[in-house]
Amino acid sequence: MKSEKITLDHGSGGKLTLKLIEEVFKAEHSLDAAILSEIAFTTDSHSIKPLFFKGGDIGKLAISGTVNDLLCVGAKPLYISSAFIIESGFEIEQLKRIADSMKKEAEDANVKIVCGDTKVVENGKCDGVYINTSGIGKIIRAIDGSDIKDGDKVIVSGYIGDHGFAILNERENLGIDAELKSDVANLTDLILPIIESDLKIKIMRDPTRGGLAMCLNELCYSKNFGFEIEESSIPVREEVKVISEILGIEPYYSANEGKMVIVVDKDDAEETLSMLRNNPKGKNAAIIGEVKSELEGKVVLKTAFGSKRILRMPISDKMPRIC
Amino acid sequence: MNLDKFNDPEIVKKIALSIEQEASKIPKTVKIMHICGTHENSIVRFGLRDLLPQNINLIAGPGCPVCVTSSRDIDAIIDLALKENVKILTFGDMLKVPGSRLSFSKAKSMGADIQMIYSIFDAIEIAKDTNKPCIFFACGFETTAAPTAAALLEINLPNNFFIYSVHKYTPNGVYALLKSGKISMDGLILPGHASTISGLKAYERFVNEFSIPSVAAGFEAVDVMLAVLMIIKQINKKEAKIENSYKRVIRYEGNKKALEFLDRVFYLTDALWRGLGEIPESGYELKDEYERMDAKKQFSINYSDSYIEHQKGCRCSDVILGNIIPTECPLFAKRCTPADPIGPCMVSDEGTCKNWFDGGYGEI
Repeated sequence: MKSEKITLDHGSGGKLTLKLIEEVFKAEHSLDAAILSEIAFTTDSHSIKPLFFKGGDIGKLAISGTVNDLLCVGAKPLYISSAFIIESGFEIEQLKRIADSMKKEAEDANVKIVCGDTKVVENGKCDGVYINTSGIGKIIRAIDGSDIKDGDKVIVSGYIGDHGFAILNERENLGIDAELKSDVANLTDLILPIIESDLKIKIMRDPTRGGLAMCLNELCYSKNFGFEIEESSIPVREEVKVISEILGIEPYYSANEGKMVIVVDKDDAEETLSMLRNNPKGKNAAIIGEVKSELEGKVVLKTAFGSKRILRMPISDKMPRIC
Repeated sequence: MNLDKFNDPEIVKKIALSIEQEASKIPKTVKIMHICGTHENSIVRFGLRDLLPQNINLIAGPGCPVCVTSSRDIDAIIDLALKENVKILTFGDMLKVPGSRLSFSKAKSMGADIQMIYSIFDAIEIAKDTNKPCIFFACGFETTAAPTAAALLEINLPNNFFIYSVHKYTPNGVYALLKSGKISMDGLILPGHASTISGLKAYERFVNEFSIPSVAAGFEAVDVMLAVLMIIKQINKKEAKIENSYKRVIRYEGNKKALEFLDRVFYLTDALWRGLGEIPESGYELKDEYERMDAKKQFSINYSDSYIEHQKGCRCSDVILGNIIPTECPLFAKRCTPADPIGPCMVSDEGTCKNWFDGGYGEI
């Protein structure tokens, strides 16, 4: 690798994270969870600043993130482990709030937290609390992207960009919009019925760090197909549009923690959309584009004016422009 | 204000049709330059070049504030940050711009205390929480120079707060380049942000001396397309005047209060523009009465004579001048990418190369 030291960009979920996974860990970066015969297995670490934010906290994020990763591969989430790294001096009352939030989210997702671990590090060695969660789910049907073809439709389950901008707004005290909150949520009740149906779902992924742009690029990375996305079909909340304009960061690069991108056979697209929209968590779902083999690993955004451009994989965390 | 109508596809298509009709009357290729990085960002984001006829060449000029910040200044501040117990505060765009040897970001990974901020007001708050000397690396055109001036005049700055100004004044910079013959154009899109401060009158001499049709524009698709149309109409009428298609924001005389603040705090001096050399009266320098917070006077800053503005093969200075398009640079998207930029134009979302790379020019 050209860079000799780890930088924050290596953890941004963008192209540098992908390079780290490929070149240092020498791991294949394909699915959010491993499909192991009849079970799915996943792991994730969570560090976020601030720990408590509008719409959620690190505990809710840890459970929902793991649950959503299991759902992505067609599994019913069942069991979760949670390991805490806590900074000395951290308030036990706050830890209790986080633990309660995890318990509540686990109940809501119908999963059990079955084991865990606790480590305390010196003051100043971590930002309050880091949580690692691993999850096991039962494969209902393996969804691994093996039969994607031209014309398959791309669906996003709701407004994109809420989480990233909400966190940025609070962390950096931008004070732009008091109402914007994170979309962090487990998607069990939204996605499990789709997995259990006979709809021809080809692949699913939750567009977390790196946002929709990273998610779509990862799905077609080094593959013999790409996506053509209709920009005007992508659901974006007005508040997010405003923040996006002010900071000069497009909503497609902002993280989501309660959304799913679903690639489905074109014949089943409307029915999938209708199932999503019948659930409050999916009421703003939309078909945003389709699979095109000629695009070979590229995500092309079609603007409302008829022009086209590439939607790139983010290299690192997007920086606001100077003016 | 509801901006939807400024991105209405039907309106944009109608303007595109009018541009095509007007452009068909011009028997040559017309070069229209904008001098605002955010305009380039909008042009790429909306794919506007796709909508223009072949003889309308929309090019980017020296409009990216970090692209024109000299390596000499970046090197000097990085050296200071590595040697002394100071904290450097600057905008996110600035962090990854390569100096001669290091970027702020790489210096940070070597232990220098460098932090990203969103505005000078964030920098002041950070300084209040520490005893460490905090130096705000103040880059950008008049749009960011004005808040720097306002902060100095209106806020009781902490004693450990200092400013290193590399702010630049757009009209004088572009005027000097025109005068020298380094840049040329048939029409000019005046900057949307910077002109809110400087006003359009700062560009009157462009029209008078160089007969360049000039139109101020906003950043939505309709804004940019309308500016192109208005310029081509002027060309067809053999006119050269300043028009304002961004009346909702820009006034002819600019922002009087901001200009007064700038005048009270700064004086204009000769300044180094990266790759373009020294340009007369184009840099904002703090006046003597602000000596206490002038980092250039309060710290021992060493300027090396051997600073490197552009690495071998890098054509950023030609890109900034509109002499070549990014894809003509041999390093573009090969050795020079946003992940590892060789030249400054590949760093910021206002940089022409970065915008072209992100938009996938030549790949669709």
